[in-house]
Amino acid sequence: MENFESSITEILEVDSVELNDELDSFDAWDSLAVLSIIALCDSEYKVELSRDEIENSETVNGLKELIKSKM
Amino acid sequence: MNLKFHNKKITGILTVLPENEVNFDDEIDNYNFSKGQTMKLKLIMGYNKRRVIKKGTTVSDLCIFGMNYLFEKNLLKKDDIDALILVTTSPDHFMPPTSHIIQGKLDLKQDIVCMDINQGCSGYVIGLNQAFFLLEQDEINKVVLLNADIMSTKVSKNDRNNRPQIGDGAAITIIEKDSADNTIYGCVKTDGKGADVLIIPAGGFKLPSTPETAELKEDSAGNVRSLDHLIMKGDDVFNFVQREVPKMINDLLDKANCSKEEIDYFMFHQPNKFMLKKLADKIGVPYEKMPNNVVENFGNANSVTIPTVITYNLGKKLLKDSFLICMAGYGVGLSWASMLLSLEKLTFCEIINYK
Repeated sequence: MENFESSITEILEVDSVELNDELDSFDAWDSLAVLSIIALCDSEYKVELSRDEIENSETVNGLKELIKSKM
Repeated sequence: MNLKFHNKKITGILTVLPENEVNFDDEIDNYNFSKGQTMKLKLIMGYNKRRVIKKGTTVSDLCIFGMNYLFEKNLLKKDDIDALILVTTSPDHFMPPTSHIIQGKLDLKQDIVCMDINQGCSGYVIGLNQAFFLLEQDEINKVVLLNADIMSTKVSKNDRNNRPQIGDGAAITIIEKDSADNTIYGCVKTDGKGADVLIIPAGGFKLPSTPETAELKEDSAGNVRSLDHLIMKGDDVFNFVQREVPKMINDLLDKANCSKEEIDYFMFHQPNKFMLKKLADKIGVPYEKMPNNVVENFGNANSVTIPTVITYNLGKKLLKDSFLICMAGYGVGLSWASMLLSLEKLTFCEIINYK
């Protein structure tokens, strides 16, 4: 998971993220960002996520924990 | 379900696209997009231009136009057609079958098998399967497979998930018996538990269209549409495709005892650029072998995308050369299907415009 934060910053088009940042506080947070996260998890972590799961994870850390719980 | 066919071949493919072109840039005001999001969508999904019908054009119009072109150019003879299959999710009417309307308007012989098949994204492979089944009959020597859809009429103009990728079109494929000893490998899979992943909820017999079903509502992702419109759960479709399609392709190639390297092209259904690149990555084939340029140039016209990706990318090359092709369609149903076959020296392989 060491590349997780850098991948997320790229998807959210920001320079850095904090673990407690809310996902929907980012300007780039939209359906395409969600799809990018689904694709990232599928290819990098072999984890399948749904849109609802991602949205319910709320924060960057919540998303990270969600992925970890499925690995 | 694994399938195997012997001594059959495709001898011609024609794509018919409406002349009318719509640009993504011109429609941006319909969606709640920022400029950045728009750029990203264009780049990642490949949204750009798409072909859509003018109001009033039907699936039978597109098919008849293409068939007449073939008759006029002497590429097909009316009396040689022993079966006519139409694969569509947008028939002219609930009844009669649109294939029969086409048979009548073209004045084809009565000694013919005609049928409609209700399939979308996997409909090219499913239509080919049906053509091969029919060719097992002694008296059926030539089958015309029509694939046609006009889903642009069923997608909300404020649906930013679906609208920018939907196109209209038709394709005509000729399938015949082959004296050469060849084998075509196929695979068909079904999961009706995912029936609601891609659906038009209203307009059928279960929920007829009414003023209430036409009411526009906004979903959590900002898409505005009604029950009369096409609804797609994009994330479910993406996950389903990435989970099932690579597995199916690996099994197909195993059964055929064929390696990925031997295949010249992976001609897959074209939902968007992003999904095709991810599929190529997962299956382990270079992007050049899996063209993904149909959505950006013409839009996604359901089962028409596979013949379009072939005619657009190979075109005249297929008149003199042979290529080993792996096809795959996946989507509404849920349904996914694939086929491994050689395309050899076709009599025609081109795109024409419907005027």
